[in-house]
Amino acid sequence: MYRKVFSKSALFLRIIFILGLFLVLIIGGFTYKHIQNLTDSTKQIVNTYKVNVEFEKVMSYLKDAENGHRNYILTKDTIYLKPYLTGRDKVNESFAQLKEIASDSEEQKNNLKTLSKYIDALFVNFSETTEFIERNQTLSEAFKTNFFEEKIITDSIRQKLDEMINLENSLLKQYQEKHKSNLKFTPLFLYLVLLFTLVLIIISYYKITNDFKNIKEINNQLSIFKEAAVQLEMVGKHGNWVWHVATNTFTFSDNLYRVLGEKPNAFQPTLEGFMEFVHPEDKEKFAKDVEDMMRKEDLPFIYYRIIQKDGAIKHIKGYGKLLVNEDGEKRIIGNVTDISDEIERFLEIEERNLELEKNNKELSEFNYVASHDLQEPLRKIQTFISRLEDKEADKFSSSGRQYLERINVAATRMRSLIDDLLQFSRTNKPDKEFVETDLNELLENAKQDVAESISEAQATVVNDVLPTLHVIPFQIHQLFLNLLSNSLKYRKKDEAPLITIQYSIVNSKTEETLQKVVKGNFHKISFSDNGIGFDPQYAKQIFELFSRLHNKHEYSGTGVGLAICKKITDNHGGFIFAEGQLNLGATFTIYLPV
Amino acid sequence: MPNDYIHIILADDDEDDRLFFTDAFEELNMNTKVTTYNDGVELMDYLNRDDARLPNVLFLDLNMPKKNGIECLNEIKANSRMADIAIAIYSTSASEEDIEETFVLGANIYIKKPNSFKQLKKVLAEVISMNWQYHTNGLNKDNFLMRL
Repeated sequence: MYRKVFSKSALFLRIIFILGLFLVLIIGGFTYKHIQNLTDSTKQIVNTYKVNVEFEKVMSYLKDAENGHRNYILTKDTIYLKPYLTGRDKVNESFAQLKEIASDSEEQKNNLKTLSKYIDALFVNFSETTEFIERNQTLSEAFKTNFFEEKIITDSIRQKLDEMINLENSLLKQYQEKHKSNLKFTPLFLYLVLLFTLVLIIISYYKITNDFKNIKEINNQLSIFKEAAVQLEMVGKHGNWVWHVATNTFTFSDNLYRVLGEKPNAFQPTLEGFMEFVHPEDKEKFAKDVEDMMRKEDLPFIYYRIIQKDGAIKHIKGYGKLLVNEDGEKRIIGNVTDISDEIERFLEIEERNLELEKNNKELSEFNYVASHDLQEPLRKIQTFISRLEDKEADKFSSSGRQYLERINVAATRMRSLIDDLLQFSRTNKPDKEFVETDLNELLENAKQDVAESISEAQATVVNDVLPTLHVIPFQIHQLFLNLLSNSLKYRKKDEAPLITIQYSIVNSKTEETLQKVVKGNFHKISFSDNGIGFDPQYAKQIFELFSRLHNKHEYSGTGVGLAICKKITDNHGGFIFAEGQLNLGATFTIYLPV
Repeated sequence: MPNDYIHIILADDDEDDRLFFTDAFEELNMNTKVTTYNDGVELMDYLNRDDARLPNVLFLDLNMPKKNGIECLNEIKANSRMADIAIAIYSTSASEEDIEETFVLGANIYIKKPNSFKQLKKVLAEVISMNWQYHTNGLNKDNFLMRL
């Protein structure tokens, strides 16, 4: 999440930076333009003044020339001709200057030409007048005319110059007018751009501060993670290493050294350094695994042993995974775990399991053999009893016959105990074969087995159609038989037994008895009867081996039958529960997994 | 009419059982002649004699010293002269394995030794009067174990 935020933030900052740069450039451009304009205006003004001065100069030279000329006319002294003679040169000089600096407009150029003509005309006039004087014809009509012309030309020149000065001034005014709006708007614009730039800078500052805060927070978390990882390594006996693919160098975590039984950084983190600890028998395979890792850039789970300096052998599990960072730098991050404890525990458990299995087998064998071998002498005892009863009964006294009867009852009870024990030990045997079996068939067989009892008790057995399941057939047969026998045995003396067998598929969620135990769907088969029932507090106890709720004189039974039922449902991964109410009946519910 | 009797042989190492067996036939009074052997070796020695009169029904205990019932059964079925003898397994146990094995080997019926003399007589009488023809070729495992 942070990564995304930062990449977004980085983009944002980049945009702001580029925008800011752009704006600063704009500001620079505008400022330059503005200053350029100002300089231009100043230049223009200076120029206009220069032009005006030059015009004045022309005017004054002309006046000087005129005055000199007049003085000469009056005095005929050639000394006054000097300003007149130099006047011409000075006017020409100024004129040349004017041509250069006067405004470029067509009108001004024409004006200059006209002015030039006037000036030429004036000087022609001057020289003509001078000739008249030299010839002393000053009072002639022609002289007067010439003199008058002189005045007219001079007036024209003055007028022209005024015109030109005015034109120059108006041009300056026009120019200033033109740039006035520019100059007025520029500072405001610059100010606004500056403000905007400032805002951008503030936003960037805020953003950077924010990012910095986030980075700090992440750094905090990272340091917590790091500390946690270090602790985890120590507690879990892990060590980490990094193989930098490009440089073929390793980095080992502190705890990796500890796993090897060394102090952190006890040796250079190299493959060779690590190899020294690998158990000689595992070295070859380990080297191959590492070679594979370097070639495939991946390390699946590997197992090997190491020998610590003190000689202790440890079992190690290793794993590594390639990590490519954003710069394309490849690293394999790996982990070694000391699993010696696990393996030791595993071996211990395995040993204990084997022992238990052996014990169990012995017990079961003992049970089987004992009950099996006990059968033979008992059978003989019973047969001899029956021989006595048949052949010798009349030779006994009445108490003798009673004793014989008692012996017979005891022997019969022993017989049923042995039979049940044998049955129980058979359900314990491991060689169970699961077969697809029609449970209806098994139920029919079980009913057949107790047909005599059913007809004797005038019992009714009602059953749903049962499914075909993957079961151990003889065990399920036994289960049905035991439940039927149970219901028939604990019937009410004055009521014909009714046994109802119901079937449905249920989910553990809806079954109160299964809810907290298991999840999934189950075949539910229930055997309900209307017998004497039992006190609900014994609902669990009745499945225990040799547990009986009734005196054996009231009801025969060994307390093995229901224990066998429990064993059989256990063998099938199922459950059996009993529900009962005294004098109302009992229900045994079997759940077999779907 | 010495040749008219039904010849019955029992091989059982248990003296008591042999006694019950002979007593039962005595009381049954069915024109039978019962011979008993103490183990498999004795039994096979007799059967292998050329002059041996083969029994009409052979009762074979499984758990015997020297040569047990299964071995005897194997030898008898492997010998064409004896292969047709009706064989009743007569054993204390009725474990699935034993029943399965003897059925596969070709025994005709499996009797679990009863707990009372009365029942013993009943079972033996039934076996003797059984229609063997019917029982030999009907490879029906369901009525292989004799129900009491």
